[in-house]
Amino acid sequence: MAIEKLRRLDDTKMEVPIDYKPGMRVNGVIYVDAVLEQELELQSIEQVANVAMLPGIVKSSLAMPDIHTGYGFAIGGVAAFDLQNGIISPGGVGYDIN
Amino acid sequence: MRLLRSNLTKTEVVPRIKDLVGVLQNQIPSGVGSKGKIRLDPENEKKILLKGARWAVEQGYGETEDLERTESGGRIEGADPSLISAKAYERGRAQQGTLGSGNHFIEVQYVDEIYDEAAANTLGLFKGQVTVMIHTGSRGFGHQVCTDFLEVMERAVSKYKIDLPDKELACAPYESREAQNYLAAMRAAANYAWANRQCITHWARETFMNVFGMSPKQLGMSLIYDVAHNIAKVEEHEVNKKNVKLIVHRKGATRAFPPHHPELPAIYKHLGQPVLIPGDMGRASFVLLGTERAMKETFGSTCHGAGRVMSRHQAIRKAKGRLIWREMEDRGIIVRSAGRETLAEEMSEAYKDISDVVDVVHKAGVSRKVARLRPMGVVKG
Repeated sequence: MAIEKLRRLDDTKMEVPIDYKPGMRVNGVIYVDAVLEQELELQSIEQVANVAMLPGIVKSSLAMPDIHTGYGFAIGGVAAFDLQNGIISPGGVGYDIN
Repeated sequence: MRLLRSNLTKTEVVPRIKDLVGVLQNQIPSGVGSKGKIRLDPENEKKILLKGARWAVEQGYGETEDLERTESGGRIEGADPSLISAKAYERGRAQQGTLGSGNHFIEVQYVDEIYDEAAANTLGLFKGQVTVMIHTGSRGFGHQVCTDFLEVMERAVSKYKIDLPDKELACAPYESREAQNYLAAMRAAANYAWANRQCITHWARETFMNVFGMSPKQLGMSLIYDVAHNIAKVEEHEVNKKNVKLIVHRKGATRAFPPHHPELPAIYKHLGQPVLIPGDMGRASFVLLGTERAMKETFGSTCHGAGRVMSRHQAIRKAKGRLIWREMEDRGIIVRSAGRETLAEEMSEAYKDISDVVDVVHKAGVSRKVARLRPMGVVKG
């Protein structure tokens, strides 16, 4: 569980591989370049990985370059769930609704 | 987040900026737990939860055209006022039409760089032009909805035997009563937020009319767009070459739909959805457009702002003994705040550089740059 386990996909994206943590259903993708990579908080990466473990998550657990640690889900996070097997979580929206 | 245009230029506004910021602060209630000029009876509060910005326009705050240029028309369907706690109602009653505190603000800006002339033209933006950005949300009402439903979800996690790596991820299966109730309550809060920005928009326009002695027509302060960045929505997306409905959670992320998406207002059909990205109060903000690539890669989403690099406490420590408002004024930015510590928490160094953030989403192609805006005057909560 460290930043070294992240894999750079291209100039603007890093992958949190599916084996970053046991229990991940999909990978994580964080949109950061080499500059913003330096400012990634370890806890926010953990949060991207944790969200990837939620039931019904589709494609990837995503985070935008303004990512930082939030309540459960990272701020800057995007997660889509399918309507049959997926979930809804208030932490995925946060306290400051809208 | 919402952005208003104007016919005014930077040169016309600079000599009046101190007055303007002072009157804005006067006219738009701000600060922790700030109470508004609007007194809601229970019946009207319920109407807000169902009608959102539409309620505000019906009360005379703004124009029908504003609604066309607001995500979901400023009102999302499926809100249910019967699921709101007494405590949330109580917190919401006095806070409609208030800015609040923390990172919420109203900012007078000017356009200092255009990256796409044709797009800027369609949006009604030109170089040197003054714009107004408004960032606030559902205030204590939405906060209480979140608190209430985190409790419900904690119970749901054991009821539905969901295995979680972190209890803060408390959730419920989409089709469960708990999840559907949260969604209906969250929608009510989203509508409250749209009404809030609509009321504040009206007072911002009034303030400009009074300070500059100009008519609405002369000022041309039409809404460019209003978009949410903390919301969960049911949307159609392509997964494995099939269109499926998904529940998309965006937390500190902005919807960025591509050209020709059915949810876009007619005037922006060929352009793509406007995306409004504020930076910290000292640097810049950006207007972007949604893209096809965002639809393919990020469920039609992009960034929402600069993102903190310092916690609020760290920032307060770092600002000790400094006069942040004076430092800003030396850089030509007039800042006013109701809260003693807000300016310390919100100082530039506490945030990532917004230009770095926007460059990433632009290069990645999940949105594209149209214009950069620079702050002239800021009212913080």
